Parts: sequence; structure tokens; C-alpha cells
Amino acid sequence: MAEELDLMGQDSDGDSDEVVLTPAELIERLEEAWMNEKFAPELLESKSEIVECVIEQLDHMEENLRRAKKGDLKVSIHRMEMERIRYVLNSYLRCRLMKIEKFFPHILEKEKTRSDREPSCLSPEEFAFAKEYMANTETYLKNVALKHMPPNLQKVDLLRSVPKPDLDSYVFLRVKERQENILVEPETDEQRDYVIDLEEGSQHLIRYKTIAPLVASGAVQLI
Amino acid sequence: MDAAEVEFLAEKELVTIIPNFSLDKIYLIGGDLGPFNPGLPVQVPLWLAINLKQRQKCRLIPPEWMDVEKLEKRRDHERKEETFTPMPSPYYMELTKLLLNHASDNIPKADEIRTLIKDTWDTRMAKLRVSADSFVRQQEAHAKVGSSTAPFVWACCEGTITWWAACLATQAGFKKQKFLRNRPTCPE
Repeated sequence: MAEELDLMGQDSDGDSDEVVLTPAELIERLEEAWMNEKFAPELLESKSEIVECVIEQLDHMEENLRRAKKGDLKVSIHRMEMERIRYVLNSYLRCRLMKIEKFFPHILEKEKTRSDREPSCLSPEEFAFAKEYMANTETYLKNVALKHMPPNLQKVDLLRSVPKPDLDSYVFLRVKERQENILVEPETDEQRDYVIDLEEGSQHLIRYKTIAPLVASGAVQLI
Repeated sequence: MDAAEVEFLAEKELVTIIPNFSLDKIYLIGGDLGPFNPGLPVQVPLWLAINLKQRQKCRLIPPEWMDVEKLEKRRDHERKEETFTPMPSPYYMELTKLLLNHASDNIPKADEIRTLIKDTWDTRMAKLRVSADSFVRQQEAHAKVGSSTAPFVWACCEGTITWWAACLATQAGFKKQKFLRNRPTCPE
């Protein structure tokens, strides 16, 4: 059992940027992605590499455990840890699916107009899911209501009827990399814009819109 | 993020246990643990410590800050100061709750500790309410949150309260937008 598990101590290949992560770092990245996705009002960039690596680690561990002795204390401890990781992974994916279902026309529109250089917000499977969801919703609306309407009212513009994500909502964040000169827009007309510096390790409450690019780059962590 | 999820995150904190079994080093995905030898203290994450305790395989050692005199000092300090004072751990509430629920036999004066932590928590919540209220009233667009910043101070991961404060701020934003939409536009 010990020899098989020695593999866990080695580095595993990370994402397409050829970053090598230890399994512990991988799990930490997954948890960060999970927290960011939970607190961000919009769908964030798809972290498919992290998801794939985590699934690979879990499968690898499952394989090892199947070959090990039954009823061993080690086995139950490993299983508990795997359940915890699976929970984070599932919660992350569910959160994304919920946002896709909520904002599907805007997400698909964004995907259509995205340039090749920008990373995608959707994994291939999520993209297929979003398209199918849209098609199903359109068919449903048509069959249940629209086809019974007068001919000039039979179209519905989903982009206008489905609410957009509220980027003005407030989020809490912790700063991982120092940032300077972040412009804070005023709430009222009497106040003026002002700039703030974000010190490393500090925590803030601010509008999501102001710091959205920092979440994408990993300079801040939503909490 | 609901209370159960905050507890889930709190369970990653390391605590010391004294096992009554022996096991060589285990290589979890999240890191290495052990080796375990009967009678020798070892650090493990809280989720494992609680599970081993439930299976009667170990004794839990309370963290160094979980002591009646130290907590009394903290509580009094918190009551005196207007802003937040630093807490021993970002998850002090969850750690206390889990350790006292599952291992109160390993922790001396458990009830007093429970009361002291609850008092400290109540004081901090009162400060947070006052601060969040003024944040929203003055329609601030940003707040730095930390253990010694006035007027708005808050310590990380006090779960449901953070969610509540963020909601409150967002709602205030909504009210403002609705008001603005109905105002006639001013000529440039």
C-alpha cells in the first residue's frame, strides 16, 4: 500500500501552460476556483484543466484503494478525503451550471462574440449544455404560449427578457498580489471618483465590476 | 455560502491529537500526515481529528488559545475597543463549536469556554451591524476590512454575517439605481 501511494508525493502535470503543481496545490487551486465561482455574480472563466487534473487524481486514488486491503484504517481516511474533494468539485460544477441556466442567452452571446485570444467561459460540455438548454427553452415557450399568439407577437427576444448578471453587486475579497490605483466609482453624484491601493493580504468590500479583471487574473480571491 | 460550507472550510484547520493506534505515514492528495504512534502528539486536519475521536481512536488537544483566562482577556479587550481585535483563528467559532461538541471531555472548563466565545462573538456582531449600517447609510462605494480599520471593520469568514453584509450593500445599490432611473436627466 505504501509503495503505491508514494506516487502521490510526486508532481503531477498541470494545465496547458506547463505549470507543474503538486496535488496539494491542485486541490488548493480547485478550492480557490470554487470560492470565486460561488461569490462572483457572473460566470467566470472555465478552469477545465484543474477539473480534469482533479478527476485524474481521484481516479488514480480510487484505483490504488481498490487494490489495497479491505477494512484498513488508511483506506477509510483516504476515502474521507476523496469525498471532501468530490464535494468541492461537484459544488463548483453545480454552481457553474446554475449560472449557465440563469444567464444562458447572455453567456451564449458572449461566447459567439468572443475573440480567439480570449479564454472561453464554457467548457465544451458546458457549451453543448447551454445550447441545448436554449433550444429547449425556445421550443417550450413556443409550444406552450407563443404559437397561440397573434402572428406578429410570436417571437421572444431572450437577450432582452432574461435578466443580466448584476455586476454591481458587492463582494468581499482578499488581496493576493498588491494592486495600485484601482478607481472606485462613487455611489452618489455628490461624491467623486477616488483611487485606492490594495495591499497584499488585506480584505475589502467593493463592487464586483471594479475588480472583475483582478479575479480573472488571480490577483484577488473572493471570500 | 451557508454555515455548513463555512464549517467545511473550517475543518481544514490543523489540530493536535494523541492517537491510541499506530499507523505509518499516509499520503493524502492534500498533503502527508503522520506517522501515528500511540501517545505521541501529531497534527491532523480537524475533519480527520473529529472522525478519529468519534471512533475512539484518539484524544483531542485543545488549541493553545482555548483557555479560560486567555479568552476572558480577549473578550474584555474586544468589548473595550471600538474596532475589531485580532482573533486567534479565522475560524474560531467553528473550531470551538466542533471541538466542544465532539471532544468536551478533552477540554477543561468547556462550558465557560463556550460562554466566553459566545460573548466575544456577540460583541463583534454588534460592531459589524453598526459598521454595515453606516456603510450603507453613507453610501460608501468601498470599504477596507481588517482588524484595525475604522469605521467599517470585519474579520474574515464570519460566514452568514458576511453574506448578509454583502446583500445589504447590494440592496442599497438597487434602491439607489431605482431612484436614479426615475429622475429626469440633467442637461449637460
